[in-house]
Amino acid sequence: MKRTSIAGLPMLLVGLSIVGGLCPPSRVQGDENWAEWRGPRRNGVSEATGLPETWSASEGLKWATPLPGRGTSSAVVWNDLVCVTAADGPRQSDLHVIGVNLADGKIRWHAKLWGTAPTLHHGTKSDMATPTPAMDAQHVYAFFGTGDVFALDRAGRLVWQRSLADEFGPFENRFGHTSSPLLYDDLLILQCDHYGESYLLAVERSTGKTRWKVARPGTWHSWSSPRLVDVPDSTKQELVVCAAHRVDAFDPATGASLWTVGGLRRECIPTPVAGQGRLYVVSGPKGETLAIRPGGRGDVTQTHVDWRSARGVPFVPSALLVGDYYYLVDDAGIATCLDAHSGKSLWQKRLGGAFTASPIAGDGKIYFTNENGETIVLAAHSGAYKELARNKLDDPVYASASIAPGRLLIRAEQRLICVGK
Amino acid sequence: MNYRHRILFGAVALSWAMLSVTRGDELDDALVVISRVGPDGAGAAEARAARDRVAREGPSVLPRLLRAMNSPNVVAANFYRSAFEELVARELNDQDARQTLPRAALEAFVRDASNRGQVRRLTLGLLGDVFRDQQLAGWLDDPEFRGDAVQRLIEQGDQRKKADDAAGARDAFRQAFQHARDSDQVLQAVARLKGVGVDVDPARHLGFVTRWFLCGPFDAPETTGFAKPFEPETRVDLQAQYVGRDGAKLGWQVRATRDPLGQFNLIQDLAAVKEAVGYAYCEISSGSKQEVQLRCSADDNLSVWINGHQVLAREQWLNGTRLDRFITPVTLESGVNRVLVKICQGPQHVDPAVSNNWSFQLRLCRADGEGTKFEVVRPTVADARLQP
Repeated sequence: MKRTSIAGLPMLLVGLSIVGGLCPPSRVQGDENWAEWRGPRRNGVSEATGLPETWSASEGLKWATPLPGRGTSSAVVWNDLVCVTAADGPRQSDLHVIGVNLADGKIRWHAKLWGTAPTLHHGTKSDMATPTPAMDAQHVYAFFGTGDVFALDRAGRLVWQRSLADEFGPFENRFGHTSSPLLYDDLLILQCDHYGESYLLAVERSTGKTRWKVARPGTWHSWSSPRLVDVPDSTKQELVVCAAHRVDAFDPATGASLWTVGGLRRECIPTPVAGQGRLYVVSGPKGETLAIRPGGRGDVTQTHVDWRSARGVPFVPSALLVGDYYYLVDDAGIATCLDAHSGKSLWQKRLGGAFTASPIAGDGKIYFTNENGETIVLAAHSGAYKELARNKLDDPVYASASIAPGRLLIRAEQRLICVGK
Repeated sequence: MNYRHRILFGAVALSWAMLSVTRGDELDDALVVISRVGPDGAGAAEARAARDRVAREGPSVLPRLLRAMNSPNVVAANFYRSAFEELVARELNDQDARQTLPRAALEAFVRDASNRGQVRRLTLGLLGDVFRDQQLAGWLDDPEFRGDAVQRLIEQGDQRKKADDAAGARDAFRQAFQHARDSDQVLQAVARLKGVGVDVDPARHLGFVTRWFLCGPFDAPETTGFAKPFEPETRVDLQAQYVGRDGAKLGWQVRATRDPLGQFNLIQDLAAVKEAVGYAYCEISSGSKQEVQLRCSADDNLSVWINGHQVLAREQWLNGTRLDRFITPVTLESGVNRVLVKICQGPQHVDPAVSNNWSFQLRLCRADGEGTKFEVVRPTVADARLQP
């Protein structure tokens, strides 16, 4: 959370929140909270301070709240409310969106909904509740592998639903749909790449109505999530979507195609990170990181890729960008740090354990959580490997952690755990 | 029926039901408003206001609310459910409050198998375990609760076995097997029966074809195999010799599987190759003309012809053989039916650690998953015994 000493700010915020109820939610509001997949700016990095460094299964936990069913989505936070999703039932089509008090972990509300078309998939680490929800001041937006998007109000009441499976066909995806929704101005943007007719969809946050839809013929399935990237020397942003064999950029306001870079693997899972005037895209296995300068037009594979590196490429976990350093952890637990400007390898270290969750960072620390529930805490902002702590929970963890002021939210297999004071 | 038709159907049916069952009132109006919610967020604002109106009601509206919830329009069903959950949380949060439930109407709703399964299950949750336990034995063929009833039988069999009631355990397990349609439950029942000395055939129970003539590998570089027809697609001649990969002569070989879910591993049965095509052929006899479901899957992909007509073709690479991945309705003619399957094998995954799978499974069953009555007449059991 950004901190400020500007006098009168509380009243200003009250005023803004009232205005916010009347106007479309803005990006600025989202920046203040870990409101979507990979947090503010979608890099896995928070500006929160006072984050915990050490804890264990019996110490340092603020609360732990049992969750129903299965789910690999991360928790999202808007002020005092934490939201997380799950799915269960005989067909995995009983969907849950759960609102939890950040302060004490008590369930504030629990919305139970039906999904349209659960995917026949064989994911052991994914499920119908793998996409991470998104939040703004008015709504929680929950996207499920059943092809359903829901907007709920902050009391958990249904505001609108889009049954994409009914409208455009069920998702066909052998590991289930995992792409998380993206907030952009007054839009919610959804990447729907699957074996069937793939598409990008932007719907109005307030009504669920389609603003634009772009067909992606020939696009294979992917599990990556869309993101925005700032165009250098411009106030504009581009919408970036990784998929099989390529990364595409679009105008997020209209869906118009902007540029393409080839060279990704056929199966693309990680979400790109952005900063230092570049976009960092990675896909595996045996793939590469591509550092791409946004702002091009057409196929810019030959002109806008600043560097490539095959070092430490993961299959599932997304990468992390903290200042000048680009961090990766592969599925086998080998962590890598590259110079974000050159791609030069700075260090590589076996952390131990298998990894599905993506690393996160804040308060000068990087948190790598493996499937055994062990979090390895490293010092950030350094070109050297410096381990600060190893903290073990008793829970398996496949979902990526989230950050709230002074706290970590770790979605374990059966419960949501808040670490911190 | 497409999505818009379903919404229209749901709205008209609900309007009619409201007019015929009760005098039109504000609540009915709210229920009808919700029924009109549609694609692209249409009607959501109105539905939300109507939802709030419905949620203010007491338990007496539950039968009407549940009838409305029966809608094929999943968006409308969720608005109704949202109201239902709020009403239940507020009005029925303890046992005393639950005495006010209109039980007779709710029980009738649950018993009526023509109602939507999810809504019946939701309602069952209100009625408690005693009612559920009373009903389970009668739900062995229920479209929604079959799995619950089968699970209860398996548990009863376990209890009887533990109490040294071997005959009782056998009866329970046998009944569970006969009624199970979910593959996990079928295999559970098979294992339990084996434990009490009874062998049953899960593949036959689920309708898998477990004997085929196989032919291949034909050469198909990269992913060209799906679109390229080889000679068996033109005419199946079980005596023919074809030219296969690297000029090898290919003939049809009989293969059978003991896999409980009818899976064939073509790496073992044909060759450990990549970028190839294989064919499977059999003739099955049906006692009558039947409309059945073809359920199949393959790694990497498959196309299926029945009596010379292509009934399924899905070009998906690197996707794994998963039970019932593809389901399509087909007709079995009375008498002998010819079934031809083309199974494509793509390139090696970029990760050399990913195993080189080439496999398929195919079954013919009723809509509930029970195997259709048919016999594989070619290849015969004797043909299969002659094979190495």
